[in-house]
Amino acid sequence: MPVIKLEGIGKRYGDIKAADGLDLEVRNGEYLCLLGPTGAGKTTALRIISGLTKPDKGKITFDGKVMNEEEPENRRAVMLSQTYALFPQLTVAKNILFGPDIQDVPDEVKKRTLAEMLDLVRLTHRPDAYPKELSGGMQQRTALARALASGADVLLLDEPLRAIDARLRISLRQELRSLAKSLGITTVHVTHDHDEALVMADRIAVIRGGKIIQVGSPAEVFDNPVSPFVANFVGQSNFFVGKVGAKREATEVRGENGRSVMAQPCSCREGENVVVAVKVGNTEISKEGEGFFEGRVERILFEGRNLHIDLDVGELGRFAAKVPSWRLGKLSKGDKVQIKWSAEKASVFPVPPGGLEEELRVE
Amino acid sequence: MRWLEKATELISRRRFRKGWLAFIIFFFLVFVIIPTVFVLSYAFTNWGDIQSTVLNDPAEMQKIWTAIGNSFEIAGIVTLVDFLVGMPMAWMLVRKKFRGKEFLDTIIDMPLAVPTAALGFSAAIFWGITPADLTNPLGLNIIGSPFLLIILLHIVFSYPYMVRSLSAILEQIDETYETAGRTLGASKLTVARTITLPLFRAGLVTGIILCFARSLSETGGTVVALTTVGAQKLFYTAPTLIDEVKKNSITNPALIPELSFISIILIVLALALLAVMAIIVKRAHLPIRKIWPRPEKILSRGLAPKAKDFSSILFLSFIVLIPSFFIFTYVLTATPSQPMNWGMFGEALLYSFIVAGVVTVIDLALGVPLALYIARGRSKRLPETLDILVNVPLIVPTVALGYSLGLFWVGGQPVNGAVGIVLVMLAHIAFTYPLMVRSVTGAVEEVDPVYEETARTLGAKPVQAFRRVLYPVISSSILAGAIMAFTRSLGETGATRAVVEGANTAPNFIVNLVQAHDYYSAALACIVLIVISYAFMLALRYMVRKRRRD
Repeated sequence: MPVIKLEGIGKRYGDIKAADGLDLEVRNGEYLCLLGPTGAGKTTALRIISGLTKPDKGKITFDGKVMNEEEPENRRAVMLSQTYALFPQLTVAKNILFGPDIQDVPDEVKKRTLAEMLDLVRLTHRPDAYPKELSGGMQQRTALARALASGADVLLLDEPLRAIDARLRISLRQELRSLAKSLGITTVHVTHDHDEALVMADRIAVIRGGKIIQVGSPAEVFDNPVSPFVANFVGQSNFFVGKVGAKREATEVRGENGRSVMAQPCSCREGENVVVAVKVGNTEISKEGEGFFEGRVERILFEGRNLHIDLDVGELGRFAAKVPSWRLGKLSKGDKVQIKWSAEKASVFPVPPGGLEEELRVE
Repeated sequence: MRWLEKATELISRRRFRKGWLAFIIFFFLVFVIIPTVFVLSYAFTNWGDIQSTVLNDPAEMQKIWTAIGNSFEIAGIVTLVDFLVGMPMAWMLVRKKFRGKEFLDTIIDMPLAVPTAALGFSAAIFWGITPADLTNPLGLNIIGSPFLLIILLHIVFSYPYMVRSLSAILEQIDETYETAGRTLGASKLTVARTITLPLFRAGLVTGIILCFARSLSETGGTVVALTTVGAQKLFYTAPTLIDEVKKNSITNPALIPELSFISIILIVLALALLAVMAIIVKRAHLPIRKIWPRPEKILSRGLAPKAKDFSSILFLSFIVLIPSFFIFTYVLTATPSQPMNWGMFGEALLYSFIVAGVVTVIDLALGVPLALYIARGRSKRLPETLDILVNVPLIVPTVALGYSLGLFWVGGQPVNGAVGIVLVMLAHIAFTYPLMVRSVTGAVEEVDPVYEETARTLGAKPVQAFRRVLYPVISSSILAGAIMAFTRSLGETGATRAVVEGANTAPNFIVNLVQAHDYYSAALACIVLIVISYAFMLALRYMVRKRRRD
């Protein structure tokens, strides 16, 4: 399976930069999730890998071989769109055999491939069904089988779970990942759902404005985001703006009216303006004891396993926290609570050039 | 099958594809667009002649402007009527379920299968006050005004175009909008008027352009109808005037500037109108936004909708269908005056079918690729420009088109024999090619490109992706385009006569018979032509149905 490399890829549509110096390496057999908001250039990156879109500049290589001018049909990189694009006029079997049919594979080989594929995706009982007669999950499995039967080395999945209902989606995550991993296929999976990316990926590449801003394992991206944007996009974060104070085993950051919080050690200078980001799930609230500052419970959302709490912290704006559901009833709207977190869970970033609000914008 | 693989390999090469595309665009420009408007260049090179022989002749100018005025007035009225009565019919065909819907769906197209020359005769003896040698006991004999007669005639063959364009769009408009409007408390009529109608713009433009252009350029039927009621020297539309001047110019070359002048005016006005119409439909807020809840609610229930549907069917029967086929009664009641020249008619039929066949094949081979390029190249400049240009031959009256094309290829010299046939084919390609491109472009745009793209990533070459994925989905539209091109070519009179005056096509044969007052033979020829055309159309339809079932 090839190692895919994108180097300095640029692509414009009129004034919109869909790729703006995009660099990305997808390792052999890796399951990589390309995670980003709508309009970040995820699909463009995928289309450039597949050959359906030609980049304006930059280089794309498979195992070191430049592929810029190669036609899509010669790349063995199969695209699976959101809707799977199963050919409506063909049966499941005919869809799966689309690739072999085109390559003029002998009939007995085709027969064997079909049997294997139907078995692999558990559709042995439905080879003569038409796509519209299948459930979402079955459609997806047919599309996968079709991709595999064509001899694909690379799977390009464009939001493959979007059209599937919530419950099934969770179980399909594992199914999809384990199928790709067991076959050792290099996979690029585009999504805007960070939960999906965290659960499924070997590595996550966060994309924004046509640029890759961070690549790393799910834990790295979640725990050590490189920017406030990543901190907020991969699991929601609370932000605190202030000046760097004392620097010991943890960094002290002082806010405007004397409030100060603790965060990870950083390479920042004393007195520098910084942003502290801490994940909502790592933000602790309690009615007793002493926190970094006090907030008032504004809203409590029951999410089943957790409670999502919105807090009003005066001039510091809004904070949010997630607490276990058993605390329902112990907290109520209007309560004053203390807010704190452990220093090692809070990242420190220099204040972004366009301001924090601009940095966090998702469109 | 080695050669097939090799061929697939060859045509999949990028260089070949680029070359092929360049050829298609070259063909479109040089064989369709430029010949269509070539006569405009005459205005620059020979303005002096026009000035001296036409502009300085007030009587002749008067005649020209009257004819052009007639044409535009007729086309306007016809289009308006088509829209008003076509809309409820389209609605009924798409949104309602009732017994006999399939049947209704089929008979709407029937007038399309009848060559306009035959329609002209049929409608004239049904409505018109005919001379004594043409009396028909069953004819109404009530319409004395040629103006009104031509309007009634043009409605017959443009009505199906309007219904088809509107119903094609209506089918694509999601009914959920209407349901949403209804659940929000609006009556059926209000919803249709304020929610659905505004979504119609695209279909409306197509329908209007098709009807208007069809009426503006119709020659054969108009000439036949006017001759039948004896008004051919009293009343002119622009095409019949061109037709006459063209015929006379063979013996009197001094008429060439006048001929060119009328053609130029007609082309320029048609193009200007196309542009204005496109802007108006895009800008104007077509329906009135104000809502009158009570009257609209009353009109949505009870007798009113039933009366609407009933009158739609009444209109279809009495204004469209009966006049189309009235000719059959004439043959039963009249007595032959002269023996029919079957040999010559056979030749004419052969001529027409060969031309229509070749033209359709060329349209298919070169029109489908252009349609693909236009439909898949949206938002790029060249395909968008081509998309607009494709409309030009549709709106340019075919007589003017034919004359212009003759001027382009042979300098307006009279030609005959093999060269003549080729020229007739070129003329027919010019006005049928856009029909094919339009029909296929519309269908391709409906298909999400993701299917072909997925096929490509699955290893299909572009040709294979088209053949296996796109073609099965759009084949019925390709066939519809082919049927349209074929029947239009088969029924065309104006362009044929303008390019080769004596071309012995079937419609031309009929026009000549009518002009020679040999009505019985003309009627007989019309009936044969109707039967053959209709059988042909049914056969094609049957083929499509069968294919779909397989």
